[in-house]
Amino acid sequence: MIEMTLLTTLIGTLLFALVAPVVGCLLAGLDRIISARMQGRVGPPLLQPYYDVRKLFEKERASVNAVERVYVGAALLFAVLAGGIFFSGGNLLLCVFVITLSSLFFIMAAYSTRSPYAEVGAARETLQVMSYEPMVLLMAVAFFQVTGSFDVAAAFGLTHPAVCTIGLVFLGVLFILTIKLRKSPFDLALSHHAHQEIVRGVTTEMSGPTLGMVEIMHWCENVLFMGWIGLFFVWGGPLSLIAALIAVVVVYFLEIWIDNNFARVKWQFMFKSAWLVALVAGGVNIAVLAFL
Amino acid sequence: MELSLGLLGFLIVFPLIVAAVLLFVRHEGPRRVIVCAAAAVIAAASVALVVMNLGAATVLFSFESEVVDFVCTGISALIAAVIIAFGVRYKNVLAIALAAVQIVGTLVLEFVFAHEIEVPYGLYFDSLSLLMAFIIGVIGSGICVYALGYMEDFQAHQPEGAADRRPLFFALMFVFLAAMFAIVFSNNMEWMFTGWEVTTVCSFLLIGYTRTEEAINNAFRQIVMNLAGGLGFLAALYSCAITVGTFSFLDFLVIGVNEPAIVTFAVTALAFAGITKAAQMPFQTWLLGAMVAPTPTSALLHSSTMVKAGVFMLVKLAPVLAVAPAPSIMVMLVGAITFVLCSFMAISQSNAKRVLAYSTIANLGLITACAGVGTPEAVWAATFLILFHAIAKSLLFLCVGTAEHHIGSRDIEDMDLLFDRMPRLARFMMLGIMAMFIAPFGMLMAKWATLVSFVDAQQVALIVILAFGSAATFMFWAKWLGKLAGIAGSPENVEVTVKPTEWTALLLMACLLVLGCVFLPLISAAVVEPYIFGVYGTVGQDISADNLWLASLCTIIVVVVLFAGVGAKPKGRTVDVYLAGVSRDADTRSFQNALSGTAEATTRNWYMESVFGEARIAPVGVVFNSLIMVAAFVVAFVVTPLVF
Repeated sequence: MIEMTLLTTLIGTLLFALVAPVVGCLLAGLDRIISARMQGRVGPPLLQPYYDVRKLFEKERASVNAVERVYVGAALLFAVLAGGIFFSGGNLLLCVFVITLSSLFFIMAAYSTRSPYAEVGAARETLQVMSYEPMVLLMAVAFFQVTGSFDVAAAFGLTHPAVCTIGLVFLGVLFILTIKLRKSPFDLALSHHAHQEIVRGVTTEMSGPTLGMVEIMHWCENVLFMGWIGLFFVWGGPLSLIAALIAVVVVYFLEIWIDNNFARVKWQFMFKSAWLVALVAGGVNIAVLAFL
Repeated sequence: MELSLGLLGFLIVFPLIVAAVLLFVRHEGPRRVIVCAAAAVIAAASVALVVMNLGAATVLFSFESEVVDFVCTGISALIAAVIIAFGVRYKNVLAIALAAVQIVGTLVLEFVFAHEIEVPYGLYFDSLSLLMAFIIGVIGSGICVYALGYMEDFQAHQPEGAADRRPLFFALMFVFLAAMFAIVFSNNMEWMFTGWEVTTVCSFLLIGYTRTEEAINNAFRQIVMNLAGGLGFLAALYSCAITVGTFSFLDFLVIGVNEPAIVTFAVTALAFAGITKAAQMPFQTWLLGAMVAPTPTSALLHSSTMVKAGVFMLVKLAPVLAVAPAPSIMVMLVGAITFVLCSFMAISQSNAKRVLAYSTIANLGLITACAGVGTPEAVWAATFLILFHAIAKSLLFLCVGTAEHHIGSRDIEDMDLLFDRMPRLARFMMLGIMAMFIAPFGMLMAKWATLVSFVDAQQVALIVILAFGSAATFMFWAKWLGKLAGIAGSPENVEVTVKPTEWTALLLMACLLVLGCVFLPLISAAVVEPYIFGVYGTVGQDISADNLWLASLCTIIVVVVLFAGVGAKPKGRTVDVYLAGVSRDADTRSFQNALSGTAEATTRNWYMESVFGEARIAPVGVVFNSLIMVAAFVVAFVVTPLVF
């Protein structure tokens, strides 16, 4: 029994490692095209993110130390493992913890370089984790209250989608999703908008293959987070997966729209609003489910 | 069983003999031999005791002794005399008054109320006591060995002509070990109380070790608060003598589970004693003040064992708390509020020992909250929190102590480049930090179980508090970890002068930590589940075995990354950091500024004083928790019939 679950998780992780970068890459390509259209540009080809990363891997290895690459590798590994746990129907809390471990390694990679810019980025990244973590944990708790289990697979035993009973939690997760996807206005640690910062935060000293790994990690993360969103919309029967897919597309479009319409905020606003949302949306919804 | 009883008695008596000898050893050489040998013997004896009784249910020993009763009374009188003597010398009226009340109370109890109450089974152990014995025997002795090298450096850092009180220091450390064993093995609550008070006075004397003004003040703060807690314990003993009619701890718990109303007052008073010992808000200031003591003291008394006696008591009471609402709500809320607020305040601290102190109080709060919930699942989580906190936190204290002696500061901001200056030590410290707050290490697995047990018990307030507290925990550990992770060129390695005894202890803690995390499922099956089964009759465990093993696998990966991967030689070209200008020296991050001078880039961590400052947060917890405790005592008075 034990070996079975471990085996499922490992196979899931392998599959995720193969599929998620492809999906995530296409998602990133779409993101860039849609963003460009919103800004009145044509935008790059769909596969541009792939071309970019391929080029990164062809570049020379140059780094300020040998450690950074090891940390980024560990971050990528644990991001993939978190995805594997989630998509093989494993424990949602474990998935949350492992993706946090991945974030920690990413933060350590930035700190290890001792670049003042990367350190500022790393400190902000730490703050971002602190900002979104309560809502993520409360999401897992709410999921348990609905399904009676922390196992992702349990969602398929529901008679109606979870969002019907934990709609407030869903809204809270939508709020912090912007932080997790590194979208403006909450892209404090690392922005993909050239106008937001002079020197890039966390990844300042990362280049070549190391930066390539970071990109792949973000693709995988995005796929995982979209999986979390989809989880709110599935119930018994495979047909519900289509509903989940539609929800994911709508949410991702919404995120792109937010990204293009809001300027970066100060950390105080991000932190306080994220905790307030978690307290109100998460706390109220969980209390209602517990006491009614 | 004969052998077990022998070992048990040996563990209580032997450290006392060692202490008596050490008091008269003034030279470093013989002391080193005695401490190392005694530590090895104590560790071996406690490991033997644990291994012989793996999976044991409760084992009671028929042991009754008038002599021990009188010795205990004598020790109580001696403790009171010591405190009153110091109180007179340093003019602290409150300490004198509390000590006087306590000794009068103890004598009246012994000679008026208690002389007819007999406890035929004076000693016992169960799997929880064995776990505690392992912590005291192995981690405690490891810290004593570490103290050898540390105290040598400590003495060298003292001003010229300072008195050498090391004989007293080591004697106290071993007396303390004996007292801890007495607490976890005594079924006779009067004996347990004696051990309890001995630990208090050891802590008092060790905090005041340097006899500076600050040390004396903090020592008195500790003694006043813990004497107040001791009075709580004493009140509980009175209630046991008058209302419940027994001093047998295990009988008391059984009566409590069946008839909660009778024991409500006693349980509330005992819980109050546990809460003061575990430095929960509003008593958190004594533990913060205790950080002036030499670092081995902080590691042994103020993180891994003495404060654990407080939560040990609460975890023991957990089955009664599950059925007695008033003390249960008190324990739950006091613990949870302490956890979240102390985690917040830890963010605003840059002194490493203060961060460790706040984190200790916070984790004790979490254990307290688990005990208050009182379900089997919560107790499972609490037990693992006790174990892993003891190992990881003592590792961290020892690392900070050694770093302080070699970089001359315990400020986290001064730990820049520690990875270069003290490569081995920095890795141990990083391991300890990661073990405190991140998956897949044991602490986080225990926190995970805590969360699930709160969800099972439908404690919404506790769930929300845990979610926010954990997020704050991430912040203050991650930024410290980041400080350590920085790497530049190759500054001078200052690690070579670290004493071998210190390395031995550090290595011991690190190995225990890694092994404990990897074999967590086995520890659960062999030690923790038998205890829970013995107490509740069911096995409560919220995390499935396969997820535990998955975490073990991740632990191995993280350890390999930390100790093997990070030491790799660079592949490819090494470049300087980008400083948005002409770099002058990459290692010191200096660059050519606009006036062609040399400027150095400096960064500091975030402390978010405006959000998480002590001045803002501490009063909230102090007021709130005080009110909760007053309310709980009022209810307990009403509930418990005061009949003779």
